[in-house]
This record gives sequence, structure tokens and C-alpha cells, in this order.
Amino acid sequence: MKLQTSQILKDYMRSEMLPTTWCPGCGLGIIMSSIVQAIHYQGLDKDEVAMVSGIGCTGRMSGYTDFNSIHTTHGRAPTFATGLKMARPNMKIFTIMGDGDAMSIGGNHLISAMRRNIDMTAIVVNNSIYGLTGGQSSPTTPTGSKTTTAKHRTIERPMNLEVLARAAGVPFFARATVNHTASLVKMVERAMNISGFSIIEIISNCHVLYGKMNQRPEASDMIADMDNDTYRSNPALEKRSSQAVRITSPDAPFGDSEDSKNVDGFEADDRTGRGIIIENKGSVDFSARYYSMLEYLKNQKEKAGDLS
Amino acid sequence: MIEVRHGVFEIRVNKDYCKACGLCTAWCPQNVLAEDEEDYPITPGLKNCINCKLCERHCPDFAIEILPPEHPEHSKYKGVL
Repeated sequence: MKLQTSQILKDYMRSEMLPTTWCPGCGLGIIMSSIVQAIHYQGLDKDEVAMVSGIGCTGRMSGYTDFNSIHTTHGRAPTFATGLKMARPNMKIFTIMGDGDAMSIGGNHLISAMRRNIDMTAIVVNNSIYGLTGGQSSPTTPTGSKTTTAKHRTIERPMNLEVLARAAGVPFFARATVNHTASLVKMVERAMNISGFSIIEIISNCHVLYGKMNQRPEASDMIADMDNDTYRSNPALEKRSSQAVRITSPDAPFGDSEDSKNVDGFEADDRTGRGIIIENKGSVDFSARYYSMLEYLKNQKEKAGDLS
Repeated sequence: MIEVRHGVFEIRVNKDYCKACGLCTAWCPQNVLAEDEEDYPITPGLKNCINCKLCERHCPDFAIEILPPEHPEHSKYKGVL
């Protein structure tokens, strides 16, 4: 069941800020609604939830939702969220980032937060382009697609967040799309219950900039294409990561070269797996370890005091 | 078993929030929704609505809502039975 829209608006949104400034048909609104529904179904109080966002189209999400919110500098959303989690260990933190925010300027901050295993739910909205600044190539632009900075098609390979997350040892990684909204709500709910850094990469649409330059000017076409661009992955069957996110654009003239298709054992299939790919329920997050270490040191000190 | 009900649902479109992106019309499986001359959604086939909420789920702007008869703002709301 879906939560009634009037209830979402009444209980969780700052209605005076609506309508959103996002373009008509942008998937960010779908993502915002899914996060709010997941928080509602988990029965969390609004004051226990914090939403941290960086710069970009995604950065505006913290202003529209009625939680504790921080709109921070470009790429530093995980950094601010780390400080927040250490100061308020009981808070549920959502870190909303775009692909440029998380993977290019904030790449190192994201890696450090993943490596430390800070308890937060990071949501990386991947729309394959820098939307806010006018359609420049981002780290996730598929090979062979046109952008304003790659008029003659991109020849770089896109970044694979799944492999990065695996290397940094995150306990939860999932990939969703804005087309499969019901499973997106379930994934956010599962990610919230993981102690540690849980990350969800959500494939979204930028039909206004990316789509217009790549023969997909309609939002509905671009979202419907996600059914064909992705397949439902089964983590039990896939021991290793499959392939990068949309590694070639469907219209790439020279996208089918050896270089762009076969990346170190990846198959020639350029569809992207969606679903929960890594889930480690036994993980313990950084703030819990930190506070238990403080407790241990305190006890040691008291013991030493008793002896002397 | 889920009972499929027809003809009892109402669809409310908030034109203050709607940006006429066409996602709700594209996803409607029962041809309930259509676009008017300004591309806003209208409901010519309202009696076919089955409350699947695909339009609501795909609406990025919280502009469309299906009201079941149990909802207090439905025109034939009879109160809690």
C-alpha cells in the first residue's frame, strides 16, 4: 500500500516550499516521496530523523522535507553527517547526494565515510549528468552519450559505485530506479535498519538535459527505459559485482568497442543489476564502537583508581 | 484475495503543484487519465479506476491523489463504520 499523498503533504513536507523547483517529470520527487514513506512505515518520529544534503538538484530535498535538515557544501554531505552522528548517536541520518556530489567532488569524503562505517543511509541519485549547472559530463555519464562538454560523445568509462562500495566494505548496497517505486520504498526501509553505512544508488532521469541530447526528451520514455536498462539481480547468485552502470549508451556509434564493453571480466551485457546487492546484518557502526571504547577506557581508569 | 473495485474511487489533481509532466497519464494501466489541451491530467475514464496508485507513485510533485471511499475527503464518505 502507498501512503496517501495528502498525509505525506500534511505530516512530512514543508508545504510552503512547494511546488518544487525541479523540472517537470524529474525523478527526485519520486525519490523524496519514497524516503518519506519508508520513514513513515518504520514508525520514526520526525525529530529523530535528519536529512543532510549537498549541492545540486538533490540538495534541495532537505529543504522540502520537514525533518532536521542541513544543506551543506558541495560533496561534504557525508562529512557533516559524520559529525552529526557522533554528536547525536540515536539519530537516523539520511545523506542525499547526486552523482556529481558523491562521486566526483565528494568522492574521497564518501570513501572515508564508507570505510569508517558510520551509521547513515546514503542515497546517491544517479542521473548520469550534472543537472543543475547545465548538463556537463559527470563520473557516471555512459560511454557514447552526448553532453554539453562532450559534444562528440563521451569516451570515458562511467564509475561503478558498487565496486567502490564493495572495496570500502560497506554493509549494505542496493541499486534502485525511479521506475520501480515500490521496491525503492522497501530498500530504504531495509537500509535504515542496518547498523553502519548503507548506500542506495538510485538511477534517476534527467530528460531535460541528458535526455534531450540523447534522443529521450520525454520523462515517461526515459523512466520506462529503465525497465530495459536494468535487470533484477539476485545477490545469492552473483558472488562478484557484474558490470558498471549503463556502460554504453544505447545509441552509441562507437560504444560497442572492446574497451567500452569488456571491463576486466564484465560481460558484454550492458544492463545494470538492480536490487539489494550487499546486505550484512551483523555490522556494528562507528559511533557504537566509539562509545563502547569510551566506556571501556572509563572502566579501566576506575579500576586503576581503586587499586592505588 | 484482493477484491478489485470499480467506479468508487475519486481522483483529485492539485493544479497548484502539477507541472503537466505526463507521467501519471503514461503509467495509467486502465486508461483512466488523459491530458487536456494544457497537458494537465483529466479523468475521462474514472469508472475504470482500480486504485493501483501507479499515478500517485510516479507523481514527482504530490499533485495527484486517489481517494478511496474510506477517505474523509471522498464525496460519498459515510464515516467510520
